[in-house]
Amino acid sequence: MNRLLALSLLLALPSAGAAQAPLQTLEGMWSNPPTTIIGQACAFYCTDVLTDRLNALLDDPANDKRPLGELRGDASARERAFIESRLTAAAKETYPLDPADDPGLLRCEPWGLARQMFAPHQIEIRSRGGDQIELHYGEWDARRIVHMDGRPRPAGPVSLLGYSVGHWEGATLVVETSGVAANQTGWRSNHSEQLRVTERFTRAADGKTLNLVATFDDPWGLREPLVLRKIWAWSPTSQIAPYDACEPPPAVKRGVIP
Amino acid sequence: MRGRVVSLTLLALVVSIRLAGAHHSFPAVYDGKRTVTVTGVVTQFRFVNPHALMTLEVTDKDGKVVTWVVEFAGRLNLSEIGWSADSIRSGEKLTVTGNPTHEPSPRLAFQRIVKADGSELLPAAAQRSDTLEEERRERAKRRAQQP
Repeated sequence: MNRLLALSLLLALPSAGAAQAPLQTLEGMWSNPPTTIIGQACAFYCTDVLTDRLNALLDDPANDKRPLGELRGDASARERAFIESRLTAAAKETYPLDPADDPGLLRCEPWGLARQMFAPHQIEIRSRGGDQIELHYGEWDARRIVHMDGRPRPAGPVSLLGYSVGHWEGATLVVETSGVAANQTGWRSNHSEQLRVTERFTRAADGKTLNLVATFDDPWGLREPLVLRKIWAWSPTSQIAPYDACEPPPAVKRGVIP
Repeated sequence: MRGRVVSLTLLALVVSIRLAGAHHSFPAVYDGKRTVTVTGVVTQFRFVNPHALMTLEVTDKDGKVVTWVVEFAGRLNLSEIGWSADSIRSGEKLTVTGNPTHEPSPRLAFQRIVKADGSELLPAAAQRSDTLEEERRERAKRRAQQP
């Protein structure tokens, strides 16, 4: 009987191990993007529209004398137009959001998911044991739990960072999040509680970068899904420091949209 | 050469304003198109998140001492370019260049510090500029070699 039990456990273990094995390719500390033109352009997020435009500008000898900041500005403007074209009329009413209305600035309120996931600096990916993976961000010292047990989001109130379930597709960690409270996005629009996000985390073949492809779906705010990318560099010695000294500024000016 | 320096400075300003904006909206607080330079003695440097802060006692032309506040990127950002809590010490005399607030006040967003020994502290974005410009030159070189 004991042998049978041991055999059952043995058979069960490889299954659990296989579910966790790909985590080893992502686990650890990642931080700022690589110091490359495209890496820096994707320091927060980027679309294919931005990277394609920037590459085209850089490949044109006619632009060799133009400052890099100017080329980035050109590509960013095209990206903004692209993002705006994806917004519903309801979301366009407040787009682009005025930085002077940023709750993070005015009241030191931590960011919601659609902004937090594009935060600069560190993301630390760790197993929490069992069927949970933790995503720990340097910015705001925010932590997300990805539930890998295959169960759907339980009924309950929405929250700042939502409820995330995950699974592996080969070596890609796929994280699906819903139950996110209405808030601001990283691309300066509002979103509703209907927001659903699918994140696909993959380590590059050379092992040096972590790539995120995130697809946003929000019937209230988006006419069609919006796909954004982000890049982090492998940064095993980086450390997340306390995030405990936020102070609202003494004064803000409205209408300064960067 | 002067043009290149100006270009790099502009790039650094553009990039640093955007980077700083990640933590919070710097453009709503500081005027990224203007810079102000002051010289004074450090009374405190707080190496914290989301933004490091320094207070500086500056003596104006009438002999009056004014306390300036200088806001930096956060510890997360600065530590990755080698800064620590000891990068700036109380009692040090510094010349600071930064973006002023939209409404006049003794407050700056850090762009450049020159220490008494002539050494400089620059934002992360400014330190990356040379690497990015080198990549650009390499791209142009490879393009020129293509048949």
